[in-house]
Amino acid sequence: MKLMRTLFLLAATAAATLLLPGAAGAAAPGGECMECHGDKTIEKSLPGGGTLSLYVDGSAYRDSVHGKGSCTTCHADAKSPHGKLAGVTCGKCHPDAEKSYAQSTHGKGHAKGAREAAYCSDCHGKHDIRKSKDAASRTFRLNIVGVCLKCHKDRAIEEKFGLPGQQVMEAYEQSVHGMALKKSGLLGTAVCSDCHGNHTILPGDQPRAATHRQNIPTLCGKCHSGILEQYETSVHGKGMRGGIAESPVCTDCHGEHRITKITDPSSSVYTKNIPRTCSACHEKEGISSRYALPKKRFATYMDSFHGIALEYGMTKAANCASCHGFHDILPSNDPASRVNKANLPATCGKCHPNAGPNFAKGSMHVEVTPQKAMGVFAVRVFYTIFISVLVVLFVLHVGLELYGRRRRKHAEEGGKG
Amino acid sequence: MTPASDETRLPAYIIRMSLMFRVQHALLMATLLVLALTGFALMYHENWLGRNLIRLEGGVLYRGFIHRAAASLLMAQLVFHAFYMLFTREGKKELGEFFLGRRDFSDFLQAIRYNLGTADEYPKAGKYGYKEKFQYWGATLGILLISVTGVILWAETFSMRFLPKIVLDVTLIVHGYQGLLAFVILLFWHIYNEHLNPSVFPMNNAWLTGRVDAEWLRREHPLEYEKLKREGVI
Repeated sequence: MKLMRTLFLLAATAAATLLLPGAAGAAAPGGECMECHGDKTIEKSLPGGGTLSLYVDGSAYRDSVHGKGSCTTCHADAKSPHGKLAGVTCGKCHPDAEKSYAQSTHGKGHAKGAREAAYCSDCHGKHDIRKSKDAASRTFRLNIVGVCLKCHKDRAIEEKFGLPGQQVMEAYEQSVHGMALKKSGLLGTAVCSDCHGNHTILPGDQPRAATHRQNIPTLCGKCHSGILEQYETSVHGKGMRGGIAESPVCTDCHGEHRITKITDPSSSVYTKNIPRTCSACHEKEGISSRYALPKKRFATYMDSFHGIALEYGMTKAANCASCHGFHDILPSNDPASRVNKANLPATCGKCHPNAGPNFAKGSMHVEVTPQKAMGVFAVRVFYTIFISVLVVLFVLHVGLELYGRRRRKHAEEGGKG
Repeated sequence: MTPASDETRLPAYIIRMSLMFRVQHALLMATLLVLALTGFALMYHENWLGRNLIRLEGGVLYRGFIHRAAASLLMAQLVFHAFYMLFTREGKKELGEFFLGRRDFSDFLQAIRYNLGTADEYPKAGKYGYKEKFQYWGATLGILLISVTGVILWAETFSMRFLPKIVLDVTLIVHGYQGLLAFVILLFWHIYNEHLNPSVFPMNNAWLTGRVDAEWLRREHPLEYEKLKREGVI
């Protein structure tokens, strides 16, 4: 058998090196082992066919974070010659990482025997492990996305474990965070591990996950701390901290992997898309009645000149956020709200400098009912009735005229005769 | 064609609209059409009519430019027309023909009674009967109202200083429905009287040629006919 032959060859080489004086340079790390494993052609046959290279890149190892140690620190059972070694356990030296890994979705999967579940070496590498601050490291900020996508863009893995599909991963690459990474090479951008965590990674529907709804504001606030401060004072932020689960968090308006700049027309918070983004909650019957919110905000807005102008491409026109604010949004009965009666002149005044306290009389979202907008309602009813009656009278008049004409014609002809 | 014996020597045509009025009419027609198309685009923005009209007009911004340009032209015509009617010889004469009197109302009632068969004679109209007068004054008042509301909405930075939003909301709704009203009047009243009415079908050509048939005048506007006859025009 080929395997036997290889092992025999291995043993023979090992024996030969032992006999040669001075060859056992064990002082240099890995020196002794490298005599076999430094050979690029050394390999073993796998039972399923194919081969596994047993070559270890000595210089990559020496440059690694572990390069000053010795092979036996990790491969404790390595003697020369040796057969198959036991698996390497990083937890011996990195107990904290091992503990958090065991609770993560990768760790649990691995414990259950899922070969695909990422193990230490899948992310960190083996002999060439470097510190994550090192630009050549697999776990360096600019390289992490590539490491995660190695598995998370693999369709077979996605299907087997019911993971989010390719579009989600591709969306990140097109997102403002992904572009900052890919195009601008910014270290400050959000990479996978910033939001999902590293060793402790868990799916977002688990309360302990970094990406669970209730943790999102704090999570985004790690980088966007000024925004978080505003959000905490808003009605949405207070609701969310008060335990109202359906109170919106960052991702409800901005999206997750597909977050783009607000100037990007595909963004859910692009000026033209804002009314629909807000309405996703505010037009929901359950939400508006549960929190006693005024209704028909979307319809009345879309019927206003602002709504029409925005719908047909005038991006200058006011959207929801122009008047209500966005991160610091407050209900109109709060004196600090931009849409509080007292603040309306200033809010409208941003675009219409002449809109004074006098202008602010009357409702902004005009719901045409006798209670809400009697004037508009009355005029509309008057004109509707007036025009309808007029049309009926016109038709009657025309009918009568046509009828009467026959008489006139008859009379004229009679008169002539 | 068997005209009465004393009419055989008459000219076949009478000038009913001078060139000056034909030009005014054509301009008015063009501006009202543009205003209706650009106005209804906004009024019916939520359905296919508005969507297509706005697209046709190059977006909501250009729709506004076109609408206001046409509106300026319309208001200029209104001012010009007022001056023309008040201060020129031809205008003063025409304005006199358009004066509303008690007679117009009784003519209207008599026409209905005649059409119903309870009166023996159809009312005799002058140059302008109650139908024309209704059209003329209706259009004038309508254009005045729609101009005033339109200017308030156009000068929104100015209006906001003095008018509460609730008033501007009403102004907007009046402006829109006034436009619809004008459109309905033109559609049902004017189209019938000047196109579909069997006496002019398919069209009264006066707005293009200025001329009407003398025989038509005798039948439809007998008082004017008699007056012209007395004056020796006929």
